[in-house]
Parts: sequence; structure tokens; C-alpha cells
Amino acid sequence: MNSLDDFLHLVTDEVGIPVNAEDARGDLDQVAGWDSVHLLTLLTVLEQRTGRTLALPDVLAARSLADIYDLAVTA
Amino acid sequence: MDAATPAAETLLDLHRSGRLAARYPEVRALLDGLDDAELVRAGRLLARLDVDEVRAAHPDVPTVAVTVTGHGTLAPLLPALTAELARHGLLLHARLAPFDSYVFDLADPDSELYRAEPDLVLCVLDPMVVFDEVPVPWRPADVARVLAEKVDLVERLAATFRATARGTLVLNTLPLLRRHTAQLVDLASRAELGALWREANARLLRLSAANPSLVVVDLDPLLAEGSPACDPRLTVYAKAHLAEPLLAGYAREVGHLARNLAGQTKKCLALDLDGTVWGGILGDDGIDGIEVAESYRGEAHRAFQRVAKQLGAQGVLLTVVSKNEAAAVAQALREHPDMTLREDDFVRVVANWAPKHDNLTELAGSLNLHPDSFVFVDDSPFECGLIRHALPGTAVVQVDAEPALHLVKLLRDGWFTTRQLTAEDRDRAAGYRDDLARQDFRQSFTSLADYLAELAVEVELGEAGPEQVPRVSQLSLRTNQFNPTTRRLQPQDVSELLDDPYARVLTVRSRDRFGENGLVGALFLRRDGDLVQIENFLLSCRVFSRGIEQACLAAVLRHARAGGASAVLASYRPTAKNRVVADLWPRHGFAPAGEDGDAIRFRHDLHDIPAVPEHIRLTDRIGVDAA
Repeated sequence: MNSLDDFLHLVTDEVGIPVNAEDARGDLDQVAGWDSVHLLTLLTVLEQRTGRTLALPDVLAARSLADIYDLAVTA
Repeated sequence: MDAATPAAETLLDLHRSGRLAARYPEVRALLDGLDDAELVRAGRLLARLDVDEVRAAHPDVPTVAVTVTGHGTLAPLLPALTAELARHGLLLHARLAPFDSYVFDLADPDSELYRAEPDLVLCVLDPMVVFDEVPVPWRPADVARVLAEKVDLVERLAATFRATARGTLVLNTLPLLRRHTAQLVDLASRAELGALWREANARLLRLSAANPSLVVVDLDPLLAEGSPACDPRLTVYAKAHLAEPLLAGYAREVGHLARNLAGQTKKCLALDLDGTVWGGILGDDGIDGIEVAESYRGEAHRAFQRVAKQLGAQGVLLTVVSKNEAAAVAQALREHPDMTLREDDFVRVVANWAPKHDNLTELAGSLNLHPDSFVFVDDSPFECGLIRHALPGTAVVQVDAEPALHLVKLLRDGWFTTRQLTAEDRDRAAGYRDDLARQDFRQSFTSLADYLAELAVEVELGEAGPEQVPRVSQLSLRTNQFNPTTRRLQPQDVSELLDDPYARVLTVRSRDRFGENGLVGALFLRRDGDLVQIENFLLSCRVFSRGIEQACLAAVLRHARAGGASAVLASYRPTAKNRVVADLWPRHGFAPAGEDGDAIRFRHDLHDIPAVPEHIRLTDRIGVDAA
């Protein structure tokens, strides 16, 4: 996962929810079909992919996909 | 993404292009080639599908309605459950109950859970059901008290479920976590906690013995395979108290239960020989050269043979489909001093050089079964691929060059899972061997009439009692061919019919000169004013074409007339597998009487009642007013 684009592909293919760059910047509540359970799936997948452990309280508090991407790449 | 297999890649393509719903019937075969991790990923994509869209596009795909309730966050179970059902060609129609609502859902007969009338209710319990209510500091006695309260509560909820719902309730045992045991610093208390925890789990497991609506999944064997029970972060931050790999294992068990309820339990195990049942190649190594005991590989194959024998003793029909010389195979099974499986353990041994899918199709036909009822085990990727391609409904267990893992791979899935074993299960293999003798006997006659006359068929028609409930339910779940309406009945459904003053359940037993066939059929009747409705008529495929159905219908029609009925009604709902009964009703004097949805209705006016065939001796144990 080298870019925000890669990250959005991962959300689309692994979580099953198609998202684009606009969705990434907006509030998670505005992403069609998104709910908190998808966040858990995404966390699991991100940790598997990056081999890093993410700070769950920070990720759970994130308000947008772009925020989560930043947390994942800086973890 | 780095999809590992072509099947996973294809699924992803279908998902990306939005064609997954339209191509749903292909999903089953695609899932067959995935490993466990890929299966979970596929489940996430499938769980996003609109069930109504899939149903609209493919009305023939059987749907299983499942409500998931319980204590913690359970949404992570849905992808695994979706994938496990899809593996069996079933479509999951899931309803996730609100968080931690299981007590309200199950205690109130008016709850949304009951109104939805699901086929299955999964009430997923976790250790926090107990520890959320244990005070700090705590002693084992505190845990014992909460455990007792919770098991009492669950027992009451299960009783309400039984009285209210017609589906099946699934509970599970509670994993005991080190994060709890290790809080006790003295080993004596730790041992005490371990003992009382397991006593509570044992109580949970025993609840199902007295409650036919209940199944309790034991999570311990899944944990013993190395599945982590809980993710400490997700339990704290998300109240998801059971780890995803454990939920995936649980979903697999539920998938096999769902398959059983949908009437798709496998009946027959077809084994390859060289490299599967024994080590080595019989044709090259000879009887003395194949490995079935004593050597390293030999012991691994012996362990596998013992598992096959164990399954065979519980009603699974064992067969061989092998590319070998028939005479050499017969000799090896008969004469090898260390062989565990013998000729007698198999209902059929097919050893020749014909393609295996042709052999399997023919074998299924000779047993009056569909290839979908088979589990095929082979160490050759070529043969496995051939069967997957030619017979997509046959389950394929692909073993490899490590024979110690053969039994693990065979048992990884509960292909033969059934609710309760019956006497018929234990005697099934012997019954099929008797059938072989019947076929040889048949070939010594020039006409079917002569044969039937000499076969000396006896049929006993009786009233079902509580002790026949498991077998009658099993017949309704296993019988796909002689099943005019394919209405599946779980044990509690049969019990309800026995208690229903307007319903009657009749049992059909048969025997002949070659032995007992056991309880081979059932008739479900309903009285409605001066009409008698035959709601269904089941007959085991083993006893087709002997006039047994005519004898039974003759008796039922006679009783209906004697009891003052003006007509007897019946119906036929066509499926891919029940064509054998398409003309059952007209053949016995029923006239077409319109259609009812996808069913064709028939009516018998009771003027011209067929006779009991001359070659059958009918013992009629049902009352004069029957029906």
C-alpha cells in the first residue's frame, strides 16, 4: 500500500464498499453503506497488509478514510 | 490486490464489475477453490450483496433465513456465515438483532425475532456474558453464581423458543480465557474455576438432549485446533468478544447444520485407493507392497481407514472409485492381513479404467442416489479437478502426499452432520448390501412380476409415535426423490404434527426375503372437514419400484372413505430431483385439480380405489377412522 489510491482499492476490494477520493476526504458517516463494523474489518486488513500494529483508539476516533490512511502509513 | 488463486481473482472481478448477484450460481464452484483466508475475504464481498436482487435473478437458489443475536458485537460473524452457506449453494438471508438484545429477543414471544420466523437463530454467547457481571475482586464462587444464573436463563429462553418458534436455536459453549484464569494467583482456585466453568459448559451441551429445537455448538474442539478465542483490543474497544477465526470456525459448523436443514446432507463417501486408502500403487507394488499398517506411511493410512470405518458405522455409505484391476482390489481388501477396511465395509467397490466422473455417476445411479450426495476423496489433483468440473454438486476432498493429513482434511468439514442418529443409520450399510443380493436375485427372473412375487414384500403401515420423531424428521430432510412437496420437517415440526388433532403422521416399514428395510417411509395427512389432504408422502430411495407406494395409498384412501371423507387431496411441487414422483398421483387415480403457486394439485374422489398389489402383504395398524 503505497498511496491513498492503493488504500481506496483495498477498501473497495476487502471491505466490499466502493469508495473514491472524494469519499476519502468526507466524513465517514457520509460514505454510502459504511458502518462501524466495516472499520473493524478495515483495521484487521490494514494490520495484515502493513505488518504494523495500529493504535485502535485513534483509528476508531478517525473521522475520514483519509485520516485512517494517514494513521496506517505513519504507524 | 494480491489474490492468490484464479478463483479468488474471478470473484474479485465479479465484485468490481457489479456482476456478483447476476452470476451467483457460479459462486459455489469458485469458493470451492479458496483457502480459509480467501474464503473470509470472499464472504465480505458476498455479504454486501442485496439478497432480494440475488433471489430475483435466481429464484431456484435455496435461501436460509438466519437471525444472529447474542451478547457482543456480532456483525463480524456475517461475512464468514455468508461464505459458508454460499459454499453449499445456499443464500444467507441474515438479520442481525440489535446489540446485546438476546434476552429480550428470545423471552418475548412477540419479539421481532419470532415474527421474522427464521430457519435458524444463532444466539452467540461469549465469556463476557459472565464476566460483565462478576464483581471485582472476585472468587471462583462469584463466577459459579453468575454461571448458574446464565445457564438457567438460557435454558428458559430455549424453552420459550421451543414453544414459540418452528426453527432451530443454536447456542455455543463459552471459551475459558487465560485472561480470566490467570487473575487467580493460587493454583487451587484456578483449578476450581476451570472445573466449574466446564460444568456450566457441560450443562449447556446437555440442554439439547431435552429440547429438539436446540443445537449447542461446542467451541472447545475449534479452540484446540489453535483458533484464538478473543482479540483483547477488539473486546475492549468494539465489544467484539469472540475473535474472527473462531467465528469463522463456528460459521463452518453452522453451514453444515444449514445444509442438513435444507436436505443436503451427504450420504456417501467415495474413496480413491492408491495414495488415499493405502500407500503405494497396487498395480506396481502388489498386495505385499502397499502400505496399510506398521510402516510410517502405513500407520497414517491405517488411521485414515479407521476414520472411514467409523463414519461407515454411522450410516455413511462407503464406496470405492479407483483406477485399478477389479480382481486385484478385491484380493487386497479380502486378503491383506493388516487392512482395516474390508470388502464388507463398502456398499460398492468400483475398480476399472473408466473416467471417474462416469464411474461416480453410475455408482450414484445404482444406489438410487444423486451425485450431489457424494463426498469424493482422492490424492490426484487431476481426478479432483475432473470431479469438480463434471459434478459440481459433489464435495471434493483433495488429499495430498502427506497421508497423516488425510483424516484432518476429510473431517475439516462436517459433510455428514445430522441432528440425531437413528437405528436405520446404524444398519444402512447392511441394508444396501442386501440390495445387491436383491439385484442378483432380480436378474435370475425373466419378468418383474415373478421377481416381486418371490421377493415376499411385507409392508406395515402404522401410526407414528414420539419415538419415531427423529427418523421421520430425518427421512424428510434426506429424501429428495420420492418427496412430492419437498417440505422439510425438523424434529420439532414432526412433534407438533403428532400433537395436532387434525394431523396424522403414518409410518411405513418394509421387509422382504433378504431382510428388514426398517422405517422407509412416512405419510403426512391433514383432516379438513370432509376432506383429507395428503400433505406429503416420503419413501426411501432404497424401496422404489416394488409397489409399496400403491399399497400405502390404497390403505390411506380406503381409510379416508371409511371415515366419511368426500375426497383426498394431494399436490406435487416439481424440483430438480423429484421427477420420479411427477406421475405418482395420477398413477393412483388422482385427477388434476388446478395449480397452487408452483405446485400442481390433485384430487381423488374415492370412487375407484387402487388395490394393494398382489405381491405385497400389507399389515394395516392404523385405526379404522384414520385420516
